[in-house]
Amino acid sequence: MLSLAKRVIHQILGDKRTLALMVFAPLLILSLIYLLLGDSGYKPSIAIDESKLPEALVTALKEQEADIINAAAAASDPDKYLKNNKQVDAVFSMSQSASSITMYESSSKSGEAMKAIRGALEALNPAMKMDTRYVYGGEDDSTFQTMGYIFLGVIAFFFIFIISGMALVRERNSGTLERMLMTPIKRRSIIGGYTIGYGIFAIIQTIILVLFNIYVLGLSSKGNVLWVILIMLLLAITAVALGEFISIFANSEFQVVQFIPLIIIPQIFFSGLIPLDTLPYHLGVLSYVMPIYYGCTAIKKIMVYGYGFGGIWFFLLALTVYIALLSTFNTLVLKKYRKL
Amino acid sequence: MDITGRNICKSFHHKPVIKNVSISIPSGEIICLLGPSGAGKTTLIRLLIGAIPTDEGEIRYGQTLIPNLALLKKIGFMPQNDAIYEDLSGTGNLSFFAELYGMRKKDYMGRIDEVLRLVDLKEDSGKPVREYSGGMKKRLSLAAALLHEPEVLLLDEPTVGIDPVLRKAIWVQLKKLKEQGKTIIVSTHVMDEVTECDKAALIYQGQLIQYDTVSNLLSLTKSNKIEELFFLAADKKGGDAAC
Repeated sequence: MLSLAKRVIHQILGDKRTLALMVFAPLLILSLIYLLLGDSGYKPSIAIDESKLPEALVTALKEQEADIINAAAAASDPDKYLKNNKQVDAVFSMSQSASSITMYESSSKSGEAMKAIRGALEALNPAMKMDTRYVYGGEDDSTFQTMGYIFLGVIAFFFIFIISGMALVRERNSGTLERMLMTPIKRRSIIGGYTIGYGIFAIIQTIILVLFNIYVLGLSSKGNVLWVILIMLLLAITAVALGEFISIFANSEFQVVQFIPLIIIPQIFFSGLIPLDTLPYHLGVLSYVMPIYYGCTAIKKIMVYGYGFGGIWFFLLALTVYIALLSTFNTLVLKKYRKL
Repeated sequence: MDITGRNICKSFHHKPVIKNVSISIPSGEIICLLGPSGAGKTTLIRLLIGAIPTDEGEIRYGQTLIPNLALLKKIGFMPQNDAIYEDLSGTGNLSFFAELYGMRKKDYMGRIDEVLRLVDLKEDSGKPVREYSGGMKKRLSLAAALLHEPEVLLLDEPTVGIDPVLRKAIWVQLKKLKEQGKTIIVSTHVMDEVTECDKAALIYQGQLIQYDTVSNLLSLTKSNKIEELFFLAADKKGGDAAC
């Protein structure tokens, strides 16, 4: 078993591109996500017709973090004005009965414009002022800070899954699997050896990922980071087992790639990106068959809620059971190649 | 170790590939499996080593029925495709296989040196295999099969793509191994190589059409060429052995 693990390690070390893919590609993608979802500090621009608004409101608006543009045309036909002036995010106007906001399209920019207008209205009427508080996390957290943990889990899973799945398919097609099975090696040693070999790289990848996230990208963790590393390691080992499992159904490396949409994409949706209890037809229960759900939920409980072992033991157990079941199945499937 | 196969049948996707082959191979001999490509040589070798199960019939090594895990230690197998790891060096490949056979490092390092010399790869042993030529890969694959000093060797087309000088050297080595009492089964579609063997098993369309000493087989022909026996078999149509 250890000789196989040693061989896997030698092979990866001998293949610099795979090594780089396992270590640096996740960092690159996380940095990109950080930039995409991070706090942009965007200043929205809002068009108003100053003559038709109370003076106090105009002053209050100008005190907000926004560019206020005075345009008479905006209030009369806001749709046309927004179509012609793409740099403007919102048009705000007021009549006797109601005030109205028109925006070009629903986006994070329009959200910022809304925030500025609400701020101005609250400044005028302090009784309206709403003090928003969250039990976990703050109002000013960027999307990356609230969602970052999901990508940690997904990325750790994704890369290991592809690499281990491909390696086994290649081994089968090149005939080395048959040759290996014609030595007195036990079937469970093959599966175990693979898991250990890739598991060691998973440890390295996980530690680099977690440290990079916390110290470079500034993702904070309320709980103990060591638990996060442990969960991500279990998740990576599940990915090895799932990669081995998929390689049974794939005849070529190309077919492994074809499995990515089937195996990975649904898991990303069920990882916590979307609240699962709002899904129709109780689709949320599907998450119970998805390892990324267990991994990401547990990571969230540590990083966001600050739980310890008591809060995550169930998820650790679920992942362990997942690994045990898949490994047993994979060992049985090798019988196809050798009865013993 | 004697090898006996009795009434072996094997089909793939309902198409019979090996049809009722019975063969007994005494130890200490070199047996050539001879036949055109597609005749079933590789399938027969994989059946004999237990890589695939027989549909019918049985194969014994001595008294032991295969598949048998302990027996695998005594068998050396060289598949038709190279089946070595491209990312590893020559030595890396051999150490891996040595460990699979349960050899200890201090024992196998010397042995690896020996087999590398045997196949003339000593100088290139540190290079990754992906930089090897086709012939070098073939030789490394042969070295891997010889590594654990097996009692029985099954080699599937070991001399394809190897130049005549080295081919001769390999045959010399195989004969030396034979003198040590090892049983060697070699498949080939190069009819000339038959003279290197003690016995030849002629396989044609999944059937064993002749199995005898090479001199006996040659005496059956007019031209003293083994091909003639295949031409005879091709003329004699029908008479498929049922499974």
